Amino acid sequence: MTPKSKPVFRRPEFGARIISVGTAVPPKKYTQNEVLDLYHEQDRRIRKIFLGGNIETRHLYLPEPSNGQMPVESNQELIDKHLNGVLELGPKAITECLSPLGLAPYDVDFFCCISSTGFLCPGISAHLVNKMRFRENVQRSDILGMGCNAGLNGLQAVSAFTRSNPGKKALLLCTEICSAAYVYNKSVNVAVVNSLFGDGVAAVLVCQDNENFLDGPIIFDFESHIIVEAIGAMKFELDGTKLSFYLDRDIPYVIGANVEKPLGRLLGRHGLKRRDIAHWVIHSGGKKVIDAIEYNIGLTDYDVRHTLNILRNYGNLSSAAFLFSYKELMREDIVKKGDVGVAITMGPGTTIETALLIW
Amino acid sequence: MKQYKTIKVSKEGNVVTVAIHRPDASNAINMQMVNEFSELIDLIDEASDVSVLVLRGSGGIFCSGMDLREFSLDKPPDIYGLQKWEQMCRQLENLNKFTVAAIEGDCIGGGFQMVLLCDARIAENRAVFQFDEVKRGFLPGMATFRLARYIGVGRAKNLILTGKKMRAAQAVDWGILDHVCEQVKFEETLAQTVNNLLPFHPDALAMSRRLIHESFNNSYENFFGHFLAAQDRCIKSDVFRKLIVKAHPEG
Repeated sequence: MTPKSKPVFRRPEFGARIISVGTAVPPKKYTQNEVLDLYHEQDRRIRKIFLGGNIETRHLYLPEPSNGQMPVESNQELIDKHLNGVLELGPKAITECLSPLGLAPYDVDFFCCISSTGFLCPGISAHLVNKMRFRENVQRSDILGMGCNAGLNGLQAVSAFTRSNPGKKALLLCTEICSAAYVYNKSVNVAVVNSLFGDGVAAVLVCQDNENFLDGPIIFDFESHIIVEAIGAMKFELDGTKLSFYLDRDIPYVIGANVEKPLGRLLGRHGLKRRDIAHWVIHSGGKKVIDAIEYNIGLTDYDVRHTLNILRNYGNLSSAAFLFSYKELMREDIVKKGDVGVAITMGPGTTIETALLIW
Repeated sequence: MKQYKTIKVSKEGNVVTVAIHRPDASNAINMQMVNEFSELIDLIDEASDVSVLVLRGSGGIFCSGMDLREFSLDKPPDIYGLQKWEQMCRQLENLNKFTVAAIEGDCIGGGFQMVLLCDARIAENRAVFQFDEVKRGFLPGMATFRLARYIGVGRAKNLILTGKKMRAAQAVDWGILDHVCEQVKFEETLAQTVNNLLPFHPDALAMSRRLIHESFNNSYENFFGHFLAAQDRCIKSDVFRKLIVKAHPEG
C-alpha cells in the first residue's frame, strides 16, 4: 500500500489535433422490421437476430423491389453501389468537415481513405480528388481491408503526417458502404452480418497548427493489440462469386478478454488510470462486444452512451462508427479543456486499436 | 501505512480497518475527511495484499453526519464539496475489495449513507440510524437513490421524510444490516463477518456486485448480455481453471 514511483501524467501543450469531423449516410433509412419485410423473411431465427441486436434503424443502399421481390444484385452491381455510395457520401462528409472552417479540398495536403466494403483501382482517394478538386500534388494513401478497427489505423497515419509536417492538413475519410458487401442466403451467419452493418461515411481533419487551430483534442498516443490466434474470427469468405463476411460467435469474448491489455499499456505509460478518462469513444461493433468491453474495463452504460446510440440508430458502420460517436460527444458540448478521452476500435486480425485524446 | 488526520488506518493480514476519527466533532464528515478517504481508497484499490476494508467509528460513535462548519459564513454555499463527497462514496461502493461497515453508537446522515455503500453491514444493538437532513431542510445526498433499493419506496419515504431514528434491530429486519449483536460480542461478530466473506476472488466480487447494482433498472435482455460478459470474465480466470482441474480428479 505504499505509493510506488510511477509515470506522472503531463498534459501536452501541442500536437496533432482533431480539428473537425463530418459524417454522411444514405438518404433512405430502414427499420429492422422494414428490411425483414422487404425480403419476406419469415424464418424465426433470422427475425430474432434482426430484432434482438439493439439496432432500430440503419441507412442502407438497398435495391428497389421489383414485383414485390428484392432483386439479386450481381457482383458488378455491388461494385457500382460501393463506388456510387463513395461518390455520393464522401463529398457530403468532407464538405461538412471542411466548410465550417472555411476550408475546401484544395487546402488538404494529405488525403487518406479507408474502406473494407469494396475494392477499387484506382482507389477511393483518386475518385474523390477527381470529383472534389483536391490539388494535383495532394499526397494520398488508401487503406483497404483492415475492417472495423481501421479508422484508428488511419488516424495513426494522418496524425504521423501532421506531426512531421506542422501546419499541413490531413484529411481521413472512412467510407463503408456495407450494403455493397451483402450476400443473401438463409444461413445464420449471413443473417448476423446483414442485420448488423449499416452504410456511412465519416471525414476527420487533423492538423498540428498552434496558431490557427487550438480547439479539438490532441491525438496524444496510440496503442495497438493483435490477437494472432484469433486471425480467423472475422474475415471475408467466398460465397459463390461474392465476398461474404464471416463473424465468429466468440468475438465479443475474445475482445473482452483482451481489451485491458492495450488500454493498460496506453494509460500506464502516461501515468493515467481508467478513472482519469472522462470520455470513451468506442466502436459500435455490436451489443455483445460493447457489453464485453463495459464489463472487462469497468465502463458504465453512460460511458458508452454514444457507442450504443450509434449502434441503435445506424447499425455497425465499420471503420466510420467511432467517428460518428466522436461527433455525438462533441455535439453534447460537455467536453472541458484538460479532459482525457480514449478511443477504442476493434476488428479483424483480431485487432484492438486504442488512442489517447487530450483536450 | 500512511496515517491521516480524520481517519485512523490499520492493517492486519489482508484486512485494512479505517476508523472515522474526529473526536472533537462526534466524527462528523468534513472536506478533509472526504479527501483523505478518497486518497486511501485509491491506495487500497491498487493494493494486491488487501482483501477486505472494514469501516468503523471510534469513541463509541460511528458518525454524526455532515459538519456544517464546512460551509463558510462569508460566501454563498456551492454544491462542489457535496459533489466530491458523492464521488468518494461511489469510489467506496465500487472499490475492488470487500467492504464491511461495523457500526457502534450513532450513525447519522452521511454516516448512514456510507453504511449503504458496503458489501456487509453489522452493528451492535445500541446503534441508532437516522437520516435527519430533510427535517432540517436539505437532502441526505444520494441515499435518496440507494435507500429505496434496500428497503422499498414506502419505507424509504418514511425514514427520510420523518427523519425518525431507527434501532439496529429494525435495520436488520428491513435488510439494511446483515447482523446485530450485543456490545460485548461486537469484535467477535466483526471478525466472523469478515471471515464469511473470504476467500476473495476479485473478478467474481466486481462482476457480481455490479450485476446486483444494475438489477433494478435494466431490461432482462440487456441484463442478460451484461451477465454473459461478466460470467465469461469469471470462467476465464485462473480460479475457475483450478475448479475445472479439481472436477476432473482422474486428470
